[in-house]
Amino acid sequence: MPGLLTGSGDSSSLVPFSPELHTPAVYPLHHGLKPPITPRLSISWSSGNSLRVSVFRSPETTNTIEDEAEVGGKVVELKLSGEDVHSEVNDAVRWRRIVYGSVSPFAHLQNKKNAMAALSELQHSAPSQLEWSKYVLEYSKEINSLLGNRKSRPTSLIEDPKTVLKIDEEPSSLKAAWELLEIFYANKQSQSWIPEQLVDWLTDYDSLFSGQVPTVHLRLVEFQAQLINIQTVENEAAYWQAISSALSVGWLDIVVKLLRLHGSYQLNQLGSRETENGLVEAVAVLISKMPRMRVDLPDGKLGECCYNKSDFMKAWEKWRAQITKLDCSAYWLQCSHHQTKENLKNLLQIMLGNINTLTNATCHWVELYIAHFLYIRPFTSGLESMHVLAQKCIQLKPISTPHKLMSLIIGILGENTEVILAECSKSFGPWMIAHATELLTAGNIQAEILLKEERHNLGGISIEESHRLVYAQVLSSHALTWQIAPVYLISCMKHGVGLLEILLYKQPVYHSQVLLKNIEICRLYELDSVSANAMKIVGMHHWKHGRKGSGIFWLQQARDEVRLNRIAQKLFDFVGKSISDESFEQWEGLIELMGTESRTVGGLEFLHKYRDFKKSLQQVQDGVATDAARKAGESLISIMKNPSTPQRFWLPLLYDSLKLLTWQEGPLLNVSQCNLLLNKLQESTVAKLRPDFVEVGLPPHALSSVRAALATNLGRAILEE
Amino acid sequence: MEKSVATLDKGAICSSWNYCGQRLSTGMIDGSIAIYDTSDPASSSFTSTFKFKVSEGSIVKVLWVPPEYGDAIACICSNGSLSIWEELAEDSEPVQWKQCKTFGGSMDQVLDAQFGNSHSSLKLTVAYANGILKVYEILDPMDLKNWQLQAELQNVTDSVTKFGKASCLSASISWNPQRSDTCPASFLLGLNSDTPQLNSPKVWEFDQDHQRWLPVAELADHDDKGDQVYAVAWAPNIGRPYELMAVATLKSISIWQMASDPDIDGRLSVEKIATFPCHNNQVWQMEWDMSGMTLATTGSDGRVRLWQSNLNGVWHEQAIIEPTM
Repeated sequence: MPGLLTGSGDSSSLVPFSPELHTPAVYPLHHGLKPPITPRLSISWSSGNSLRVSVFRSPETTNTIEDEAEVGGKVVELKLSGEDVHSEVNDAVRWRRIVYGSVSPFAHLQNKKNAMAALSELQHSAPSQLEWSKYVLEYSKEINSLLGNRKSRPTSLIEDPKTVLKIDEEPSSLKAAWELLEIFYANKQSQSWIPEQLVDWLTDYDSLFSGQVPTVHLRLVEFQAQLINIQTVENEAAYWQAISSALSVGWLDIVVKLLRLHGSYQLNQLGSRETENGLVEAVAVLISKMPRMRVDLPDGKLGECCYNKSDFMKAWEKWRAQITKLDCSAYWLQCSHHQTKENLKNLLQIMLGNINTLTNATCHWVELYIAHFLYIRPFTSGLESMHVLAQKCIQLKPISTPHKLMSLIIGILGENTEVILAECSKSFGPWMIAHATELLTAGNIQAEILLKEERHNLGGISIEESHRLVYAQVLSSHALTWQIAPVYLISCMKHGVGLLEILLYKQPVYHSQVLLKNIEICRLYELDSVSANAMKIVGMHHWKHGRKGSGIFWLQQARDEVRLNRIAQKLFDFVGKSISDESFEQWEGLIELMGTESRTVGGLEFLHKYRDFKKSLQQVQDGVATDAARKAGESLISIMKNPSTPQRFWLPLLYDSLKLLTWQEGPLLNVSQCNLLLNKLQESTVAKLRPDFVEVGLPPHALSSVRAALATNLGRAILEE
Repeated sequence: MEKSVATLDKGAICSSWNYCGQRLSTGMIDGSIAIYDTSDPASSSFTSTFKFKVSEGSIVKVLWVPPEYGDAIACICSNGSLSIWEELAEDSEPVQWKQCKTFGGSMDQVLDAQFGNSHSSLKLTVAYANGILKVYEILDPMDLKNWQLQAELQNVTDSVTKFGKASCLSASISWNPQRSDTCPASFLLGLNSDTPQLNSPKVWEFDQDHQRWLPVAELADHDDKGDQVYAVAWAPNIGRPYELMAVATLKSISIWQMASDPDIDGRLSVEKIATFPCHNNQVWQMEWDMSGMTLATTGSDGRVRLWQSNLNGVWHEQAIIEPTM
């Protein structure tokens, strides 16, 4: 597996790497054996990247503990790489669903790619980028839907006014990362919506950062827990802090809901706190009327959607003017509740984009960054300026060890494909990187060059291919996923087929289901020699385990002439030897089986005739009936004429027939028949000189005896004619 | 991360998995062999199914015969013999393991053996303690009893020189894993002997035209040629334009690239692309994964080390696996 890309580094090398700095990670291997253990381990790679380690106990130990005494060692299996993903999606079944589910979108996209390439070659034009981005987006959406539903969108619930935040199941970083890539790479048509997409993204995934840094989400969760015990919320600093934080990251529905918990809304207070309540409501209305540069808003979300930039600018100016007007209003003087006044004014500052207020209201730099898009700069002007802005936010909210999603964001904004690859590979594992490269390269020439350029260092393959191979290895390591590895391997132009052949070779084909799957895959990808080898293995397995019929069947399927000829020889010897034996019936089935496919390989059709011939020969030997002998002679000629009778059997057949050839009562064969047999005899002696000649166990004088007998018969036949 | 797949009987000292990782054979100190199987290909829990006595002495090494020749193993015993055992069911008898062939013995100690993987015929290379390597070939693919000596060679580049009395402690053979009849059969051989000229790993290739084995490359720097070699491993090649091989000597583990095709002088150029000092760790076994991208090694320090190349082609030690209770 290629090493991980590290850092961004200098431009001269793809991966900044210094051997001195690299210290290998040490993993413990728990075997559960009591010492003493011999240092001698035995290692063996299984399919994919699972490594099996045999650990042996010292055989000399005299162990007193009974149950331990019989244990001489353990074999432990390790699955290398891929475990990062499992930590993301710790449920194996769910993980496999993702793995299986992503095959079809991936294969579909590859087919589209090949079809487009073929078409553009035909038309001598470049493939349409627009069309391709459409396919990539479809692909991205399909993969995204596999990773789970959007869950933790903080929604206000009518049922319980005190529930401001609905806490669902923890969302996955894998999905968060995929969505980031989708926003920046796949969704080319909606580049101008990026800020609002990021707002939605943070809404869904801010909770993921909570494990590592304080977040607005965490602040709200904590406040919600306190809420039940609070009598007058507006006196609590936490209340106002929750509101300003939620506002800063654009969770407007939560803000409005929280504002309406303000004491001035209570009926008994309304009279005495009318102005105060009016101010709270005015702020709430302004918040809910915030112009949003987006097509639509999900149910329950607040703001006014503007489809185009000019509409948005008009609405934005108007909205800001209203805020400023409210800010300068004289009503503030009449507001007697100090905290309400100060904090409402603070909210107005947030809406007016006061950087200090925003910095105070947010917890980490990504939140501050999103706040920028909401209140300071609602438009983006290219990734470069977005990157500069992110750097500024990081300076304002520095972080010692950045969260993996933060590193990914920085990589994306910095347009640094290497960093993105490194982050994807390090934090999200081989599945992510194998599938995400399609997004990264969509319409991005630089990324395409980086990922698709063939590299000598990688043995002539591209980074993209190398990542697919790594993922295919992960799939190959498991009995339930190896069958889908071919889809990824076949998309690897250079090394895919080589690895696929090895993968198929390493399957336990003597399990019939595995064999059938193997044959199916081989047929699909035209790997005839691989399936032939699998069938050969199965054939030998059955043959050696006493299932001779299955053995022959699979060897015939494998068209393994060498082995079938050996079997044929055995059967021939057997038929020749045991014609009267009762066990003949046991072999008859095999001859039958060999016979059916004889035209292709094996050539044992003649064994039927041989058996009949042998039977008649036996009758000849038992009694002395010239008729029977003549019949036997005819069947000898018929066997010898039959083109399916292998040449190597000619001499043994003739040797068997010596008695017929030297028949006392007169020649059984006529001149032409004798000539035929002499020719055949000649041919078989010539065949001896060929390198593929198979020696048959005949006495050394066999040839000369046959020749002499034939000559005698010929002489007598000529005289008779 | 780890999962126990089998518990071995007392006295187990060596083990070997078959081609698909579904059968395990273990050699015992009392000279018997235990076979472990699983009934379901998806399961990874193996239990002992056969046990049979092979030798009076201890088993030193066990390896599987390629599956195209049935379910069979070869085991090297402490008395220096190598025997081949086959799983058979004959004439409606139950399945049994039967001995089909023995090589070597006390006078002719076998150190290592490996099967080749050519489609056409099965070859077996056997390294003996006297520094001689013999290549045997099977006569009948259906029968593991009949072997024919095809060649006998000493691990030297110059075929004229012969060394009389060499004494070897260990040998390591690794066949080119490529299963193809288009490329010539080849293997890598390194020795740990008292004769420096024999030690360095050499690539031997079968010259079909003249029916002989020729040394085509040597994997050692000029100064290190006499170093004792503990292990060699030829990586699977799934499409690289060059071959990758690993060599462990008393000093270091090194990774070599060898051109797949000969240069204009007809030689296969080799280049050492990485060296890692061993620090008194004697490496006993090296195994490449199925893609040839990761090398696993183990040795006298009782740890497994994994080696990989990064995207720049720089090899490094990726991880250490340390057995613990």
